[in-house]
Amino acid sequence: MRKLIALEINGEPMEIAVEPHSTLLDALRDDAGLTGTKKGCDVGECGSCTILVNGTPMNSCLMLAPEAHGCSLTTIEGVQASPDTVHPVQEQFMRCGAAQCGFCTPGFVVAAKALLDANPQPTRDEIRFAIAGNICRCTGYTKIIEAIERAAADMAGLPMTEVTR
Amino acid sequence: MTHAVIGHSVKRTDLLDKVTGNAKYVADMPMAGLLHAKMKRSNVAHARIVRIDTSAALALPGVKAVLTHENVPRVLHAGSPHPRSASVTCDQYILDDKVRYWGEGVAAVAAISEEIAARAVEMIEVEYEPLPAAFTVEDAAAPGATLIHDREPGGNLVLPPVRIERGDVERGFAEADFILEGEYEGGRPTPAYMEPNVLTCRWDGNGNLTVWISTQTAFMVRGIMAEVLGLPLHKVRVLVDHMGGGFGAKQDLFQSEFLCALLARETHRPVRMEYTREETFTGGRTRHPAKIWLRQGFRNDGTITAREAKVVFNSGAYGSHGPGVTNVGTAAMVSLYRCENVRLEGRCVYTNSPIAGAFRGYGVVQTYYALDIQMDEAAERLGIDPAELKLKNAVREGDIAPSNHPLIGHGLEACIEKGMEVVDWKAARARTLQQQGVIRRGWGIGCEMHGSSAYPGIKEQGNAIVKMNEDGTVVLLTGAAGLGTGAHTALAQIVAEELAIPFDTVSVVHGDTDVVPWDIGAFASHTTYMVGRAAQMAATEIKTQLLARAAKQMEAEPSQLVIDNGVMSVVGRDGPTLTVREAVMPRKGLPAAQFVGTATYHPTKSYSFAAHFAEVEVDTETGFITVKQVVPVHDIGKVIHPVAAAGQIEGGIQQGIGHTLYEDYQIDMQTGRSLNANFVDYKMPLAMDMPEIRTVLLEAAPDPGGPFGAKGVGEDPIVAIGPAIANAVFDAIGVRFRHYPIKPEQVLQALAAKRAAEVAA
Repeated sequence: MRKLIALEINGEPMEIAVEPHSTLLDALRDDAGLTGTKKGCDVGECGSCTILVNGTPMNSCLMLAPEAHGCSLTTIEGVQASPDTVHPVQEQFMRCGAAQCGFCTPGFVVAAKALLDANPQPTRDEIRFAIAGNICRCTGYTKIIEAIERAAADMAGLPMTEVTR
Repeated sequence: MTHAVIGHSVKRTDLLDKVTGNAKYVADMPMAGLLHAKMKRSNVAHARIVRIDTSAALALPGVKAVLTHENVPRVLHAGSPHPRSASVTCDQYILDDKVRYWGEGVAAVAAISEEIAARAVEMIEVEYEPLPAAFTVEDAAAPGATLIHDREPGGNLVLPPVRIERGDVERGFAEADFILEGEYEGGRPTPAYMEPNVLTCRWDGNGNLTVWISTQTAFMVRGIMAEVLGLPLHKVRVLVDHMGGGFGAKQDLFQSEFLCALLARETHRPVRMEYTREETFTGGRTRHPAKIWLRQGFRNDGTITAREAKVVFNSGAYGSHGPGVTNVGTAAMVSLYRCENVRLEGRCVYTNSPIAGAFRGYGVVQTYYALDIQMDEAAERLGIDPAELKLKNAVREGDIAPSNHPLIGHGLEACIEKGMEVVDWKAARARTLQQQGVIRRGWGIGCEMHGSSAYPGIKEQGNAIVKMNEDGTVVLLTGAAGLGTGAHTALAQIVAEELAIPFDTVSVVHGDTDVVPWDIGAFASHTTYMVGRAAQMAATEIKTQLLARAAKQMEAEPSQLVIDNGVMSVVGRDGPTLTVREAVMPRKGLPAAQFVGTATYHPTKSYSFAAHFAEVEVDTETGFITVKQVVPVHDIGKVIHPVAAAGQIEGGIQQGIGHTLYEDYQIDMQTGRSLNANFVDYKMPLAMDMPEIRTVLLEAAPDPGGPFGAKGVGEDPIVAIGPAIANAVFDAIGVRFRHYPIKPEQVLQALAAKRAAEVAA
């Protein structure tokens, strides 16, 4: 029997019907249609499903969907302020080559945004620690760390970058 | 020569969708009426299926179909179906009445939800009659061992032994001042791509099958599915858009392709099968575990007089890429360090272990680990600098490569020399000489070379179609898959460069076997080299058509025209200019010109080179090894996209650090059961573990076979890093490790043994 939960996703109040045993990750992907959040392991090992729950980065595969009732969620789809802008983290991920296959990227972008929201001028070690729960198999992390470092510098100046297509 | 488009890190065309979450991977695509499929996997390593009972599973509400070996077509096929390739081993069925490893698929279920499918899988009863199992190559190759496959050449060999001989090995050893001999061993790392294997199959009313799949080899999937399912090629359409990595392993077919298609046909509904992370280990592919016996003769001046090696690869339960890996990995040992007298033998043996397949580095990771470490041992014995010894013996222009071609240029020497300069090698090594205390540091160098393209094992072919639109913009049609390397961006750069038009006026169509030209697949470090060259050739065709038309408009000869950033002018004539758009567009009531260029490129092979310089820190109390910094120096002929090329190198180093220090997929040696099929127990380097990497790209030895001289880069980095680390560990603590992964407890044991030996002396 599905259960109706009320929550806010990316600033929009929503009601979604979920299976009581469904993970929040499955509810986001299958019931809310937000497939940007990825399933790399489904058991909290890889960080590809990282979202913000009330501003805190969480593995959405480790939460049951009903637990999100009343919460405010930010997924990768909510990181852009508008369709014509990207977040500095996203811009620098593109510039620095911090994404390759892209499967882990939404989780990294969300984790990086959470870091910079809480700590606008992180050290390299703080950046490494903030993404320690996210696995990337393509980049060797060097370009991801560089991108987050540069995004921090950008955010001290311009808050958003226009999309060039 | 400077270039307007290549050599610049233009914005990759796939990244905006990836960083915003818009990129659609196979599991992201909604589909009305979708069913979910799950595979039942064996819990024995070697057995006959005596009875399989699906009645309870079929009775479960929500279950729509169940397949076993009793109701699927029995067609013997190859799991790695490269046409005309040495890699083909016809040894598998969709489902067999025999299982050959723990985790092999024995049945499949389609149901209305993943949960119901998983429950139904549990309800399938399988009765096995156990067979003796062999988990090591020694056991499987022993006389009288149970045969895992009933096929030639017998004795559980995947293929007849590969034998390569050059020169006079006996004479070479006779001329040596000293001989080094050693045994080297490589573990079982897995590619561990982030996107688990996934596909969706749907049949239309006319019996056409559409497959959305995460694969490196869409046309191979099409070919083998058509063959096994008995369909002509035009009735199978394979679609690949974004995919979450492959690193070689996603060249194979994994049983799931056929099962998913058959379940979809039986239920008349689309069916998706998505592996769990655990299944990517149990049902995926690993690197071939290997044992290498290596013997080399040296003169006191450092010259290598003879080289003899015997290599044994563990193929696991099926052949997959065993033949290719054995050929490539064994043949690689004729080269890297010059030696005229060489005798090599490579074997590949079936065991009841997880299937080894293609994985970045393809046999060469294993054999060059042995070769490069033994060179370090030789330097130690000679009392000379290992970098100097490697430089002295580095292969160079004219030397005969493993592919039997003369090498072009002096790439390896350039890499070694540049790296020695960047890290100030002599000073760095001098600092590690006198160390006291618990923490010891060391510097090591590891070298490699790797071929772009699988020639001569596969006679490859790169294809491209380039079309010009009536506004002067251009579309490239390519079958090359985008694993995440930025290949499509690089191909677009090459087309833009050749036509001298802006990069953002070129788009790329890919990933649809009904639309794009045939492609062998994205592997063997060959996409930029081979498909890039085909794209360049197709662009040249268009350029010829364009210049002929523009010449008339400009009242000049085509040979007098030059194009710069999309604008044509006549050499030596002031004004008027003509844009590409103006040349092609409709005018005076006539339609626009149709410019289409097609090209096929049959490459041979080019070799890229690298020298990696690694600094490690060894904690002599915990045995823990930390890689502190790596300077990888790569000669790739011509750099098309610097950031993407460096990204390949840094990612390869991450995987290489992984297999050298941590990663080893293990099975229980009594039962064959998987022991660490998850990311907690299978340790990979994470952000906290990665060293600083200062990548250096060289264009020392451009290859005329590649576009603008470009060669491959994908596989090289994972080969050189391993020996660089092992050699650095020796520099740090004076202990020689000849295997990977090198684990902390082994470091402690070796240090204790070394101290005991010193006390005894």
